Amino acid sequence: MANQVIIYSTPSCVYCKMAKDFFAKNGVEYVEHNVASDEKARKEMVDKSHQLGVPVIDVNGEIHVGFNRPELERALGLR
Amino acid sequence: MYDLIIIGGGPGGVAAGIYASRKKLNSAMIAESFGGQSVVSADIQNWIGTKSLSGLSLADALESHLRAQGGIEIIDGDRVAAIEKSARGFEVTTKNGKNLETRTILVASGSRHRRLGIPGEDRLDGKGVVWCSTCDAPLFGGKAVAVIGAGNAGLEAVRDSIPYAVKIYLIVRGDSVKGDAQTFEDIKNNPKVEVIYQAEAKEILGEAFVSGLKYLDKKDNSSKDLKVEGVFVEIGAIPNSDFLGTLVEKNEFGAVLTDRFQKTSLPGIWAAGDVTDLPYRQNNISAGDAIKAVLDIDDFLSRNRG
Repeated sequence: MANQVIIYSTPSCVYCKMAKDFFAKNGVEYVEHNVASDEKARKEMVDKSHQLGVPVIDVNGEIHVGFNRPELERALGLR
Repeated sequence: MYDLIIIGGGPGGVAAGIYASRKKLNSAMIAESFGGQSVVSADIQNWIGTKSLSGLSLADALESHLRAQGGIEIIDGDRVAAIEKSARGFEVTTKNGKNLETRTILVASGSRHRRLGIPGEDRLDGKGVVWCSTCDAPLFGGKAVAVIGAGNAGLEAVRDSIPYAVKIYLIVRGDSVKGDAQTFEDIKNNPKVEVIYQAEAKEILGEAFVSGLKYLDKKDNSSKDLKVEGVFVEIGAIPNSDFLGTLVEKNEFGAVLTDRFQKTSLPGIWAAGDVTDLPYRQNNISAGDAIKAVLDIDDFLSRNRG
């Protein structure tokens, strides 16, 4: 079954870009919300993660704050 | 058995990797990621040879220049867990369980953010306390923020916030700004920016999220509160030397001591860049010092073949 991945990001966020590069390299599809401009998405991100930093990555409902490659590999079933 | 293991993927580690490849040393690099600390900078204007580039672009350029050399094993997404002396050199164990043996080691593991160590900082981490302004400045649109620290990182945090925040307090511990005069010029006359000199952050306030910053105004010894929803902490760096334990001599801040050839107190281990007790912390300097180390390592290996 395909993973459901959502990333909450801001345009200049380096770790967000690293996460997206990582998704691209591993053929992971994702939905992206720009929380700098999308108030509703920002609120959603804060509700899900109880904090205000980006990136927040929702993998099948499991919330990850920041870009932690080994953790994401595990969550996506890549290792 | 490797000739050399390089620890770190910043400008120091990569410079070392490139020179080591070209000297045909049998080497490996262990790095969590490429680019070093300035990967989070929106605009680097002092990387010699390039007028302006983002930290991420610099990271990409460093990585591709290194990978183009070939002949060096790159172990990325990993970090060193322990180093032990072995019969002919050292045994290096990584967090992901790799075991490598090597004649020499070059430590270029850089440093990490120094924390304030004040109440509220840990509790509100990620809830208004910010360590990456390029990542998070856009989240404070229409709000007031405080930036603590007036080196280049602090000044850049102010600059990153200008398009978004309504008010930016720059909290300076001394009576002058340490960052580049040019960067300060760019921000200080902006009506949103208020520079507060001789101020020491004492407490970060807030319930679920940051709502204020308490500071000591050293000019009249009074305690003052600022209503802010973001606090950006840019007060310097702590060397990433923990994994070395007591293997090499360090100063009281944990910075690795080196001689002018970048040799540490333990024969066979060199160190370069922000992990050492160098007087100035700059990408260009880290690259230079790491290259010095590799050339010295190459001499050492030639003299000690067999």
